[in-house]
Amino acid sequence: MSANIDKLHDDHSHTPTGIMRWITTTNHKDIGTMYLWFSLIMFFIGGLMALVIRAELFQPGLQLVVPGFFNQMTTMHALVMIFGAVMPAFVGLANWQIPIMIGAPDMALPRLNNWSFWILPFAFTMMLSTLFFESGGPAAGWTLYPPLSLQGGDSMPFVILSIHLLGLSSILGAINVIATILNMRAPGMTLMKMPIFVWTWLITAFLLIASMPVLAGAITMLLTDRFFGTSFFTASGGGDPVLFQHIFWFFGHPEVYILILPAFGIVSTIIPAFSRKKLFGYDSMVYATASIALLSFIVWAHHMFTVGMPLAGELFFMFTTMLIAVPTGVKVFNWVATMWRGSMTFETPMLFAIAFIVLFTVGGFSGLMLAMVPADFQYHDTYFVVAHFHYVLVPGAVFAIIAAVYYWLPKWTGKMYNESLGKLHFWLTTFFVNLTFFPMHFVGLAGMPRRIPDYAVQFADFNAIASVGAFGFGLSQLLFVYILYNALKQRVTAEDKCWEGAEGLEWTLSSPPPYHSFEKAPKID
Amino acid sequence: MKIFSIILMVISPTAALAAWETNMPRGVTPTSEIAYDLHMLIFYITVVIGILVFGAMLYSIIYHRKSLGHKPASFHESTKVEIIWTVIPFIILVGMAVPATKALILMEDTRDSEITLKVTGYQWMWQYEYLEDSVSFFSKIDNESNVARRLDSGVDVTGVDHYLRNVDNVVVLPTNTKVRILLTASDVIHAWWVPELGGKKDAIPGYINEMWVDIKEPGVYRGQCAELCGKDHGFMPIVVKAVPKNEYYKWVSIQKSNKVAITK
Amino acid sequence: MKNFKNIYLSLTLFAVFMFSFSYMLVPLYDIFCEITGLNGKTNQEKVMNINENPTERFIRVKFTSTIANSAPFIFEPVDREMTVQIGKIYNTFYTLTNNSNSLKHATASPSVVPSEDAEYFKKIECFCFSQQEINGLETKELPLQFIIDDDLPSDTKTLILSYTMFNTTDQIGSNLEK
Repeated sequence: MSANIDKLHDDHSHTPTGIMRWITTTNHKDIGTMYLWFSLIMFFIGGLMALVIRAELFQPGLQLVVPGFFNQMTTMHALVMIFGAVMPAFVGLANWQIPIMIGAPDMALPRLNNWSFWILPFAFTMMLSTLFFESGGPAAGWTLYPPLSLQGGDSMPFVILSIHLLGLSSILGAINVIATILNMRAPGMTLMKMPIFVWTWLITAFLLIASMPVLAGAITMLLTDRFFGTSFFTASGGGDPVLFQHIFWFFGHPEVYILILPAFGIVSTIIPAFSRKKLFGYDSMVYATASIALLSFIVWAHHMFTVGMPLAGELFFMFTTMLIAVPTGVKVFNWVATMWRGSMTFETPMLFAIAFIVLFTVGGFSGLMLAMVPADFQYHDTYFVVAHFHYVLVPGAVFAIIAAVYYWLPKWTGKMYNESLGKLHFWLTTFFVNLTFFPMHFVGLAGMPRRIPDYAVQFADFNAIASVGAFGFGLSQLLFVYILYNALKQRVTAEDKCWEGAEGLEWTLSSPPPYHSFEKAPKID
Repeated sequence: MKIFSIILMVISPTAALAAWETNMPRGVTPTSEIAYDLHMLIFYITVVIGILVFGAMLYSIIYHRKSLGHKPASFHESTKVEIIWTVIPFIILVGMAVPATKALILMEDTRDSEITLKVTGYQWMWQYEYLEDSVSFFSKIDNESNVARRLDSGVDVTGVDHYLRNVDNVVVLPTNTKVRILLTASDVIHAWWVPELGGKKDAIPGYINEMWVDIKEPGVYRGQCAELCGKDHGFMPIVVKAVPKNEYYKWVSIQKSNKVAITK
Repeated sequence: MKNFKNIYLSLTLFAVFMFSFSYMLVPLYDIFCEITGLNGKTNQEKVMNINENPTERFIRVKFTSTIANSAPFIFEPVDREMTVQIGKIYNTFYTLTNNSNSLKHATASPSVVPSEDAEYFKKIECFCFSQQEINGLETKELPLQFIIDDDLPSDTKTLILSYTMFNTTDQIGSNLEK
């Protein structure tokens, strides 16, 4: 193996520079960087769509868009944020961090890694271009329920193809991650000695391989129902629209855990670093993560409590959904126990990580409320659900990603960001995220359904607040971009160990690390 | 003067619409009350858990900081503690599951209904059929709202009567009567939801679902479609007028004799 | 080196399996419903070998109809409600009128509530088992022969049968865009 690496090393004098470097790179650090930049761009695109939504919902009455376009915005906002922002960001973090955390020279399949990335811009260009079609982009919600999604215009086959490509990218990436983690750990790094972030990604990768193909099946069935005369989802042909929902959510529920498990790993890394205390209950955290992953396969119908399931089904899914709160709670308690009697400092990564714990837990509470079926009949398809998932995804997943960037940026680039600006970004973001999403609990409980471009007058006040919050939140992220720019143009190089309490192999490397690191496996004690 | 302004506030349309409402209505049916009571129970439990967990975090943030000179402890695992904070939440969940199960069994029991209302969802309106009396009509968003809601309509929607929650033909139901509601749809999936009546079920083309209501108080109750069904999903409201039984039967016989024309 | 190839192979097979699993869910649901009795659907095919075995028990059966996707049909049950003796065979009709000028194909889809009792509503002869051909401006009587199985739970007093009639003239390429 090392002979091959030496040969490649010599070839660097012939590696392309400029744009060809990025197109042909097989280096995990380059690819991680590309995923992260791509994710940031998509985050802003998805964010722009959110602002169209919130601008329209600022006041009752229609001021800006027609209802059909509004539905395209809600649909695309979700598709872009889930598949274009959050998932690629986690893959980018995996690419950068997994090899240097386990002492490996690169990912197991570097060329496949390159392809996995480059699928994304292609697929999203195709998906976003449908917004410019005459019949518009997809407007049936990111959940694509038939028969509504079967009424869609010309965008449908393009959206389905792009989702297939995104799924392929994820599956290939997941295979790469699993092979790397299982086979390329430095000698002495047993599974139970791995950094917890690596554990959460190992489990996430299995979830990806198990769930993305199921989505592929579901959307292929939609395609053939629309164009090739099958009737999986039409009653006249002996099918059932609800079957789609079952297949979709069998994918969809593990998917939301894919969106959060790496975040758990990040928080489990940052809290100990800034508490100067080991993660409490490492073994428990691993088992809890694995339990959550396993349980995630038997809760799917809690997204469908109003379809008319038999009572036994409703009870089963209510119980399993409540059950998943147990390992999740265990994780929260372990984080608090890590902080407890630590010696904490509150740099920006720690601020975001602490906010994650609090606000993700708030999202968890609304999730528990949603699990209770009789109450869920009043919550389902209202803004209460929108509030719930935005709490677990924005101050949940997104905060963890931001925390990770602040935490590892000095390692990746050798440049430290401005701490005062970072803190300002944190406070603005946290304030506005709550201003945006907390009122949504109220309007949902008060009776406002979701996916509507206009609402009855009694919902106006909280909607106005949420819209102000959304714009504030969006603008605050421009500060984040400035902070990155400002950091990158620093001339001072950061130390190897950028944070006093940081632990792990990556901190033994220089900041930035060499283009090829751990070409020889390090010794683990 | 003060009384005058209070009266004005009370009778003005915006005040009557309960803006700033933060909670679910307790509603006027056994099912809405069950849902509300369960909702509040779980909410209070989560508030208590939140106070405990966030309280511990806050304490730690204040006292266990490096700037105060606090040195880090070295403990990092305890099987006993892990067991405790796995078992106790589990027990709390079982405690929640019991009332929830009882409530659900009650909500799903449509037996012994006196009358049956069949609701069919269309893009974008509802059709109501009173099965026992063969009364049938369509109900769509009322004209004033429908004009005002258009982009660039120029109408100030705050002045529209029950903007987006008014219809041309209301659903009349008798109070203190168990009404079985059948749900289906003609084209795509819709959902019929009136918050104060509790319960929500999807209206699925090709299949029927059922739910029941027993409205205890006369009044007008408004709701909306609750499943994305296309561009005018937000514009197909529901209005239910609950009246005493004898008034209901009078209304039914008028409908039958008029044979209300079915026009889309 | 370690077993890279095995990992790639098994994970790829796993992904392929999960794709086929999504298709397997289609029949698996039917099997699951049959085994657990959580059926929710009436028989999709004719029942054979029905023995009349009238019991002392009577229930109410209501009939209703829906037209899907603004199909140019009028579709109504002839009997809106029947008092039905459990274990006895009954006959009734639905009428279907083609309001258009051209030949149409129509397919009916049945649904019964309460869904947990649907399996006891046994259709012996039903127009829902096949596609109907109906000429322009023609009216047809569509027969339904059924029996209520005496395993029907004792506390069920009413069953409601609904048919949704679809215009299936254009089999490939589904609903029109709105």
